[in-house]
Amino acid sequence: MRRRQKLIKINMYYYIYDEFIQDKRYEKELIRIENRLADLGITGKISRLALFRDPTEMIADEVSRGVSTVVAVGNDQTVRKIIDVVADQNVIFGLIPLGTPNNLAKLLGLPEGVPACDILSARSIETIDLGSVNGRRFISGLSVPNFSAEITYDGKFKIEPARPGTLEIRNLAGAEISRETLADPRDGLFETTIRVGLKKGWNFFKKQKYGESLLTSRRLAIRSREPISLIADGEEMIDKRFDIRMNPQPLQVITSRRRMF
Amino acid sequence: MSASQNETIIAEGVKMDGDFVSQGHVVIDGDVTGSVQTSQSLRVGETAKIHADISAGSAVIAGEVEGNVRVVDRLDITETAMIHGDVETQVLSVAAGAQLNGRVTMNQSNQSNAEASEAD
Repeated sequence: MRRRQKLIKINMYYYIYDEFIQDKRYEKELIRIENRLADLGITGKISRLALFRDPTEMIADEVSRGVSTVVAVGNDQTVRKIIDVVADQNVIFGLIPLGTPNNLAKLLGLPEGVPACDILSARSIETIDLGSVNGRRFISGLSVPNFSAEITYDGKFKIEPARPGTLEIRNLAGAEISRETLADPRDGLFETTIRVGLKKGWNFFKKQKYGESLLTSRRLAIRSREPISLIADGEEMIDKRFDIRMNPQPLQVITSRRRMF
Repeated sequence: MSASQNETIIAEGVKMDGDFVSQGHVVIDGDVTGSVQTSQSLRVGETAKIHADISAGSAVIAGEVEGNVRVVDRLDITETAMIHGDVETQVLSVAAGAQLNGRVTMNQSNQSNAEASEAD
């Protein structure tokens, strides 16, 4: 009788701990997380981020050894540190939220600490768009708090605020301004909002009104005469030119049913 | 594709320059130079100043337009509107007080003929 061979694909996990979670206050929670991962049978090699340790080589080495899922243990900044490498390696990305800020975890429907291990184990995977600004990837979005530059949409038309305003470019992020809708990270489009204060007229005590422009695009170029500050997933970048585009390779990410998109 | 599948808003306080093409509904309250094209509805608000040729599925114009306006279905020109350019539409409504300086072409007969030939 011919022996039937069944191929079972084993998901190898690789955990990246951020530097800050080595702090004593996270010690107990980390032990609980590691115990839960062992119970669920999804343990894997652990590496710790450090100031002079480049995550690029660490992750690339592990992927070449067969790792299929890279899990960040930390906050939004932890994700920011490794997202470029994870996207380049075309692996599944997981997150165990610890510490603050953890806005991305909220959007993905991931609870903090131990409960996130069960979601990781359930492996509900969504494919989401990734943006890039001047070659650096971002998941949630970008914002320019004091925006008075020119922005070109898909190379076809330009928009410039008449007075300084605020600019938000969203991939997954919700609206920090006034709209309650969440940008869909699966539509291949950025949603941009430009909010500009309107002239009050003669009545100084009149409540300030705002004009809110809403547009979508795949590619954006910001050009400014002076260096401007742009916040990408919580990290500040200062430049006169920002080229923003959809990353050709989307990201596979582990989410829960409580995700916000 | 260069713009929204849903709704695009060019609000008061911004200037747009270039060729804007959309498959969704468009609202313009700001300044626009170039061209505007949408297969859906277009609303030009009272504060809008448009120096562009416009093409839309249907349109309501309440602001200033300097350019030709071509609408497939229905065009409503409100009392605050100022249009300097030719207008081409199937159904036209002009409110008292509106300023319209240009040639008006109604395409209803062409459309009816086309529909009749399709029915045959």
